Amino acid sequence: MGFKDMFLQHPERRYIMFGGGGGVGKTTFSAAAAYWLASQGKKVLVFSVDPQASLTDIFKRDIFGKGPVQIMDNLWAQEIDADSHIRKYQQEIRQKILDMYGMPAVPEEIEHYIQAASAEPAMEESAMFDAVVDVVMKGDYDYYIYDLVPLGHALYYLSMAKVYDEWINKVTKLREEMREYEEMVSRLRREKESEQDQILQELLYIKNRINTSAGILTDKTKTAFFFVVIPEAGIISDTQKAARMFAQFNVPVAGYVVNRVIPHELLNQNIPEYLRRRIDMQDGHLKDIRAAFDDQVLALVPEMERDVTGLAMIEKLATIMFA
Amino acid sequence: MTEQEKAEAEKSWLETIRETLYGMAAHDMSRAALRTRASMEHLFILITMGDLLGVPILPPYYSLRLLPYVVPQIATWKRRMLREKDVADAMF
Repeated sequence: MGFKDMFLQHPERRYIMFGGGGGVGKTTFSAAAAYWLASQGKKVLVFSVDPQASLTDIFKRDIFGKGPVQIMDNLWAQEIDADSHIRKYQQEIRQKILDMYGMPAVPEEIEHYIQAASAEPAMEESAMFDAVVDVVMKGDYDYYIYDLVPLGHALYYLSMAKVYDEWINKVTKLREEMREYEEMVSRLRREKESEQDQILQELLYIKNRINTSAGILTDKTKTAFFFVVIPEAGIISDTQKAARMFAQFNVPVAGYVVNRVIPHELLNQNIPEYLRRRIDMQDGHLKDIRAAFDDQVLALVPEMERDVTGLAMIEKLATIMFA
Repeated sequence: MTEQEKAEAEKSWLETIRETLYGMAAHDMSRAALRTRASMEHLFILITMGDLLGVPILPPYYSLRLLPYVVPQIATWKRRMLREKDVADAMF
């Protein structure tokens, strides 16, 4: 089976993700798949949750932090600017504190905490995944194509989502117990009902956000996750490891695409020994890939003669990928 | 004092005792409940805002959402978490 059949047979899979190690071509295939689907008349949004986003480069358009930008008919691209998203969020928190307590300024200690929290590496990931919930909930696209962060981050987020969920359940329970005590005091003092616990409401909101973003990543009917591999020993074993871990988190892995395959036709030409050896080496690795992933390999894509940037090159790649 | 007056005096006396006892018990109960509630509040802040004391727990992105609600309690909470022992321990 190839990519074309995969998409034609499963039109219900609306969330398409390309994952893989750094620099294997996730953005390239995200763009190519988006291009192909858009040219089939589907309304597509391809977006990046990677702080080192490169959709700007591949489409040769400055889209960073500008919301969905239309690239061509039916095709929109978006790069989420995590930093400005976090800054806006911090400002909302500050404003809320000022409004709630009528303070003229945020207390120094609290301000410190707001800044320290935002400097943590986990902040950016959480902010990105949270922003994705908005993107996916708001839009009215037929397809959402995620240009994912490198594997480690996605796994980290998935495992954290599981921990957070259990954690939040426990905290919520504690909060409910606290509420019981509060109500008891109100009764003993014959006061009227204590006011609604706003923290409990926030906890439920957070739980819902985390579950939604992790839920999409693990939705068996609506989501398809594709791994991008290149024929190199290290990448193959990393991908196998990642695939096993993804399976544990119930990510629906739908197939593999092999990038950067040196064309075999070159062997008929007068090429240097160096290149012959490379091709020979790749043949060995391709055999390993077939052994490891079997019929789940959906496409082999050659090493292109130049960088894949601009719509003409994306189209060329999409034609090969969806042959 | 007529029989009725006697009965009433006795009744109000009993009533006072009953109310006092009830008041004492209820007061103690509500004080205990409030103290438990306060401990839980501090536990709650610890597990959501632990970062403030260098104990990272909730993803910082989401703990910020809860921050506004605990602003007034943070000072007492820190004191309680960081103190070793003080006079209050003997008193309560």
